[in-house]
Amino acid sequence: MKLLVVEDEALLRHHLNTRLGEHGHVVDAVADAEEALGRIGEYTHDLAIVDLGLPGMSGLDLIRELRHQGKQFPILILTARGNWQNKVEGLAAGADDYLVKPFQFEELEARLNALLRRSSGFVQSTIGAGPLLLDLNRKQATLLDNPLALTAYEYRILEYLMRHHQQVVSKERLIEQLYPDDEERDPNVIEVLVGRLRRKLEGEACFKPIETVRGQGYLFTERCR
Amino acid sequence: MPLQNKNKASSLRMRLMFGAAFTVSLFMLALFPALQQVFTSALEQSIEQRLAADASALISAASVSKGQLRMPEKLPDEEFDILPARQLGFIYDNKGSLLWRSRSSKNVNINYQPKYDGTQNHEFLRAQDSEGREFFIYDVEVDLLRGQSAYFSIVTMQPVSDYQAMYGNLRQQLYVWLCFALLLLLGFLWLGLGWGIRSLRSLSAELDDVEMGRRASLSDEHPRELLRLTRSLNRLLESERQQSERYRHSLDDLAHSLKTPLAVLQGVGEVLSTQPSNAEQVRTLEGQVNRMSQQISYQLQRARLRKSGLLRYQVKLKPLLDSLLEALDKVYRDKRVQVTPVFSAELRVPVEQGALLELLGNILENAYRLCINEIRISAQLTANGCELMVEDDGPGVPKHQRERILKRGERLDTQYPGQGIGTAVVKDIIDSYGGQLFVEDSVLGGAQFRIIFPLN
Repeated sequence: MKLLVVEDEALLRHHLNTRLGEHGHVVDAVADAEEALGRIGEYTHDLAIVDLGLPGMSGLDLIRELRHQGKQFPILILTARGNWQNKVEGLAAGADDYLVKPFQFEELEARLNALLRRSSGFVQSTIGAGPLLLDLNRKQATLLDNPLALTAYEYRILEYLMRHHQQVVSKERLIEQLYPDDEERDPNVIEVLVGRLRRKLEGEACFKPIETVRGQGYLFTERCR
Repeated sequence: MPLQNKNKASSLRMRLMFGAAFTVSLFMLALFPALQQVFTSALEQSIEQRLAADASALISAASVSKGQLRMPEKLPDEEFDILPARQLGFIYDNKGSLLWRSRSSKNVNINYQPKYDGTQNHEFLRAQDSEGREFFIYDVEVDLLRGQSAYFSIVTMQPVSDYQAMYGNLRQQLYVWLCFALLLLLGFLWLGLGWGIRSLRSLSAELDDVEMGRRASLSDEHPRELLRLTRSLNRLLESERQQSERYRHSLDDLAHSLKTPLAVLQGVGEVLSTQPSNAEQVRTLEGQVNRMSQQISYQLQRARLRKSGLLRYQVKLKPLLDSLLEALDKVYRDKRVQVTPVFSAELRVPVEQGALLELLGNILENAYRLCINEIRISAQLTANGCELMVEDDGPGVPKHQRERILKRGERLDTQYPGQGIGTAVVKDIIDSYGGQLFVEDSVLGGAQFRIIFPLN
């Protein structure tokens, strides 16, 4: 998933960037609201983590601006203040959840996953499609109850396609899911990864859920639950 | 109204009134004998003049023939002939023997003996007759009667009873008029004091408005004597407002500048914990970070939510609860919690907005987290004060943990680190408003938090 992190404290930003990256997310980490709005215009994000105490334009104003622009992705507030006035204001401005600093990374991860599941319409922590079952917490795919050996990149592509099942997903969107920056943007990589993913899914169950839509991208045809 | 105390003596108006009534009554009591004295002497003077006139009438009626006194059969003043005796006349010679007495003196046997001393002075005095009746007596000496020398004492009398009736009548009237004047005076005093005190009442009403948050400061429309006070109060109000604003900002900044580094430390700990050899140190680090974080949160919340000294609060519960429930519904969207509010839309709670939000936020978040799917929020005004109740259908709070739940920084579950100060903050807010908290079993099956705030 591609996440936007807006946090002015460099060390914490770096920490979030690293840890979220390790957990299979692509992270856009910026220090202030203006920069965040720049990134928002450029990329498609799946979720934003916003610190309320930003220098310059406040986190609260940033959230309002994002919602004003019609951005639908979930927003998680990070706040040092932690009083209810703050929380209520943040949630009323358009955020979906909050976390009070300092926090344990596991808790952040749990909240993120809950928000992501919710935003793609899945309430459970698993997504199933035919014989395929994705455990979102453990980042593990099983086919006919047998664990599938997927690389991190393959898993990300599969999760993204399943979250956006029955929608055409462009190669560019998938690239954004894999790489944080503009460099290494080679659509061929996606083709190679999708090819490998297809072979692994076909392997035992002859399961062929991913179709190519010429000139547009890929489509996960199976209905996911 | 603070002025309308049950104890009447503590009302300024009553005090002034008592003081004024006492003074006026004392004044009247002193005035009464003085008036009486003035009247008595005026009355006696007029009686003396009348008796002198009577004596003159007798003198003019009398004549001397061959050294003998002669009185006409019919006197020009008929009063000397009428009974019962109201006007009596006697004439004595210079040796004190009675020569003539008026017909009206028939039944009067008065023991009076004039002393003729030739000075031609007159005397005015009182004497009693044999039956104990008292008379005013006027005694004048004459040495010349119609051009002939003569030596007589002319004595006229009048019964004191007439005078006493008149005097009694006057005293009675004096009583009535003085009482009437006293009442009238007290009435005017009462009105006048009311007028004077009205400015205090209007000040009190304005203070009420300020305390209830209906106005920001006291107006300048007060008597000069009070302006000194109202201006000082305004300065106090303004400085309190500014200080609490500054306080709030500094506390927010402090929270931010302390907790973000703690978040970094927490992160560092987590990274270190990937090395199994560091496990022990990391646990210590995380424990300390957690403890610092809780203490910071708790102390900051405490400082920010302390009750202000001057202002009384009346916060409408419904809008505040609506915004809070909307926020919580968003966070716990997947849980689809059924919240039933049971209270009047107009109900007001005597707690400051921020403190009430914090209180309900903490209690309701616990309820949202722990309930199965049902929460009931009720509020009502009772004889004891304003009662708030939050119930859920969760596991409830075990009896042996109810005491502990309310202690400082205590938490029952460690699922969400750094956020276990909720119930302690709740307890603190309730304490600072002089309220009571009860943790009980709800009929819904879970916990019931019941709070009672005393009314102002």
